[in-house]
Amino acid sequence: MDRKNIKKWLKEHGKMSHKYSLWVIYFCTGCGIIEIPPVITSRWDAERFGVIPVATPRQANLFLITGYVSVKTLKAIIRTYEQMPDPKFTVGFGSCPINGGMYWDSYNTIKHLDKYIPVDGWIAGCMPRPEAIFIAVTHLWTLIDKDMATGYIKYREKYKYYRANQEKVLSELEWPPLYPINDNEEIK
Amino acid sequence: MVIKVLGIIAAVIIALVIGIFFLGLFRKIIARIQWRYGPPIIQPLLDIFKLFHQKGFSHGIIFDLGIILSLAASIVLILFIPIGGLSSLENSGGLLVILYIMLFKPLGIALSGGEGANPNISIGISRRLILSLGYEVPLLLILISVMTYYKTISIIEIVNAQSNFQWSLFSPLFLSGLTYLMILPAILEIRPFDIASAPQEISSGPAVEYSGRYLALYHIEHAFSLFISTAIFVDLFLGGGANPFYFLLKMLVVFVLGVFIHSVFPRFRTEQAIRYLWRWPAILAVAGLIIILIIKARYG
Amino acid sequence: MYLQILLLIAFIGAFLTYLLGKISSKIRDIFAVFISSTLIVMTAFLYGNFSEKTFYSGFLGLPLILRIDMLSWLFAITIAAIGTFSIIFSLSYIKGKERTDFYYLMMLLVNAGMLGIVLSGDLISFYIFWEIMSWSAFLLISYNRGPALAAGMKYIIMSIIGSVTMLIGILSIYTSYRTLTISEIAPLIASASPGYILFILIFFFITFGIKNAVLPFHTWLPPAHSEAPSPFSAVLSGILIKMGVYGFLLIMYVIIGLKKFLALGGGSFNFHYILSILGAITIVVPTFIAMLQNDAKRLLAWHSIGQVGYMILGIAFGTSLSIAGGIFHFFNHAIFKTLLFMVVGAVEYRTKGIRDLNSLGGLIKKMPITFIAALVGACGLIGVPLTNGFVSKWLIYKTLILERAPFLAFAALIGTWGTILSVYKFLHNMFLGQLPEKYKDIKDAPFSMKIPMLILSFAILLFGILPGIPLRIINAIGTSFGLEPLNVNIWGIASETGALNTVNIFFAILIASIIVWMLLRMGKKSIPVSQKDSYAAGAYIPKEKYHYTVEFYNPFYRMAKPYLRDFIDEFYSIIVKAGRNLSGLVRKIYSGDLGYYVIYILLFLAILIIIKMGLVLW
Repeated sequence: MDRKNIKKWLKEHGKMSHKYSLWVIYFCTGCGIIEIPPVITSRWDAERFGVIPVATPRQANLFLITGYVSVKTLKAIIRTYEQMPDPKFTVGFGSCPINGGMYWDSYNTIKHLDKYIPVDGWIAGCMPRPEAIFIAVTHLWTLIDKDMATGYIKYREKYKYYRANQEKVLSELEWPPLYPINDNEEIK
Repeated sequence: MVIKVLGIIAAVIIALVIGIFFLGLFRKIIARIQWRYGPPIIQPLLDIFKLFHQKGFSHGIIFDLGIILSLAASIVLILFIPIGGLSSLENSGGLLVILYIMLFKPLGIALSGGEGANPNISIGISRRLILSLGYEVPLLLILISVMTYYKTISIIEIVNAQSNFQWSLFSPLFLSGLTYLMILPAILEIRPFDIASAPQEISSGPAVEYSGRYLALYHIEHAFSLFISTAIFVDLFLGGGANPFYFLLKMLVVFVLGVFIHSVFPRFRTEQAIRYLWRWPAILAVAGLIIILIIKARYG
Repeated sequence: MYLQILLLIAFIGAFLTYLLGKISSKIRDIFAVFISSTLIVMTAFLYGNFSEKTFYSGFLGLPLILRIDMLSWLFAITIAAIGTFSIIFSLSYIKGKERTDFYYLMMLLVNAGMLGIVLSGDLISFYIFWEIMSWSAFLLISYNRGPALAAGMKYIIMSIIGSVTMLIGILSIYTSYRTLTISEIAPLIASASPGYILFILIFFFITFGIKNAVLPFHTWLPPAHSEAPSPFSAVLSGILIKMGVYGFLLIMYVIIGLKKFLALGGGSFNFHYILSILGAITIVVPTFIAMLQNDAKRLLAWHSIGQVGYMILGIAFGTSLSIAGGIFHFFNHAIFKTLLFMVVGAVEYRTKGIRDLNSLGGLIKKMPITFIAALVGACGLIGVPLTNGFVSKWLIYKTLILERAPFLAFAALIGTWGTILSVYKFLHNMFLGQLPEKYKDIKDAPFSMKIPMLILSFAILLFGILPGIPLRIINAIGTSFGLEPLNVNIWGIASETGALNTVNIFFAILIASIIVWMLLRMGKKSIPVSQKDSYAAGAYIPKEKYHYTVEFYNPFYRMAKPYLRDFIDEFYSIIVKAGRNLSGLVRKIYSGDLGYYVIYILLFLAILIIIKMGLVLW
């Protein structure tokens, strides 16, 4: 943890401030949310890393997708993700967002979250322990340092692909496209 | 002239630094009371840096201007309050002007929140205004007692009359001072009275649509408002301070007292808050006022 | 001669407008605006004159006199200005309604009546013009038929009661002193007994209290102001009820005189102190009742009652600061209440008659100029620093605190908080929040409505930053009553016990705003987002209403509702109902049946015969 490295602060203050003040949006996506209250209370204190929960996506820059993603929740996840300000980071928490996990043959869950919103990192486990969240956060810091946590840039550049996938699963999206879609390009 | 400008700049910078220090101290003390380590004291500064680097969302012109007005009024308010000898606009207004410039803060946030067009903002502002109505009843009685006792509405004179340890808290105004301590959490908007920005109930109230640089200004505004509310109490009842160092020491004591109260209480409902504020603090404030009137009638 | 010409132009202009309206409406509009503007210009030229002229001798043996001095001038210029702005506003508002010629006739007649009141130099002409004003106001309140007829009836009955008491007072003065000229009565009353002065004061207090809507007599005001057409509500609220303030000033300070007035009564039960307490109650109770109203005009009407309390409190308290504060508050209230009623009128005009606060919302995007006018007017009403409302209220607060009247000061200060809550509800439910679907295509207010609103907003800010301009005039009025002058400069008021410098505050806030704006630009630029892209817990915003308007202060509403009913109105209703029942009982004598009438005649004859036969009843 190089929070006290003043020279690095003066050189790259943008990246350093994003690292040491990650605000998680307190959105209970699935069953994994049961692991978050122990993380933010006294025993495994997340506030010393600068991580606090906030109530609205407008104020947050880290989104933890905890647990399985049903189709109904996917709509709320996409809307919340789009309402967060740039730069934003997403972490898939648990096995279900990676490849379907325990619900690999369910008609109602989606198997690969990566097709619908960009994900920067994954934590395997069913449910991972609270220490795994800390390892994920420190790993995210390394990725931010190396400019590899670029999910939000990928979302902006490949928005047509993401939107087409979203519309395939959720038949009707009430909100207009976030970035302008140029109809002449092909879906890659 | 140059000294005046330097004084103004010094006052604003002191207020900003101490305000952010108070925000950090707030989270650290609560963490230590809850037997955990807590963030470093400098954490609010890191938060504000991060927020300035975020690309936020804006809902319109009034959305920007509202929060600018609110923060500008808080900065101007610093210039009216004597900070241990530093006070720049002392001849332009007294306690009443301070009381009414404090109105710009919820007004500015209400205007910018109005363009945010979210009912959570409206509910938050309505709760904030009802809470203000609640604490204004004892607060106005206390301020009227102070102004009647010192026979002036200028805050500089009240501070000067308390030199040499003749603090208001130890004079016949002690009941009013005690009542002010009872309503101080409501003025600072910390638990049990943080009704306006209740993250769990109304998704942060007026701050629900703020992101990026606007949220940074909102946090700076929160820092200033903590500073201003504590400073007014220290000036009226604890004698101000001969130089800024003693003033800040007194403010630290009062603020840490407030943090201790915040860390053990849950949040009131709005009716419970008003019922509390209009019961014992109001009765004690009226009693304090009557004591002052009797003393003034007998001894002039 | 000049004053007579002024009044003649005012009255003849009113009738000529009606006749011209029969020919063409465009000529009538232009003529009405021309007459009102001429009145402003002529009144402005009277600044600084002090004269008194008899214009008609021999009316019932008494001369009718016109008079002008600084107090009359201030009221006259306010009346002329607000009248002109209302007529300019009603050019678009009344277009297309019925009987518009009658409307313009009555508006100009009300104006002329009020000008006559403030320019009259003796009590008979005062009474005549008072009656002209009251009756024209009644005809205008009932202009929109329907529920307005009941409102008008309530107003005129209470106004007639007031006029009758004034007539009793005038007759009593005539029988004691044989003259009704104001300048002649003043030295004569100085030698009267305090009991007689109290008697006169109480009768005139009932009259001016009813017109002024001081607390026991306020019940006519909310229905009258809400049912009248909006430009006339502006005139009603702005200046018509202030005629009561003028009357109070006339009786208390011009006729009776400062020293005698303040010495009336014994010990701590001075008359002026009781009047101040009544003013303080009038501030607190109506401003809190206004918080619970759902109709925009009714909210503003309850506010008018509350603000009148400030004026009565200031005038009755008797120190130089408080009288200056009361008169200045009259001037300010005329400006911002007119502005707020015009805003409601503009919104009503564009949304085809909706003024229910529960169903409007989000009009800031469609009517920005109206919103700015509403914002400035609302800030003036609250008394935010840099508006003129703050300066007048500051004067009143300062003197109440320093003169050791803390509970009155507390009432005045808590009235401001009631104002803040209700005015924010007004502003929020109309202009902020989400725009309903049906108002997607509204345009902003028409040009002829924008002009008076913008001029009045500018006046609020100008007199807030440079309050010396009106305060010098008010200082002159105060010294003419015999009070000590205030230390007034162009930028504010200097004093040892706390000064006020509004220009400094203005520049400080301006520079601080610029600094904060530069700080804001240091952050990354933000993305503009529409109002529909708002936080709704992970969903898109609902298609129905997404705006919190109904029962806006719900927690407080639940606690306070049982205590904030209009008890006095209910009391009057009980009296009225009892009177109606009594009359109903008496009416039963006339049963319409000839047999009963024959029995009555026979009974009466029988009683007469018995008496004649020697039955001695007493």
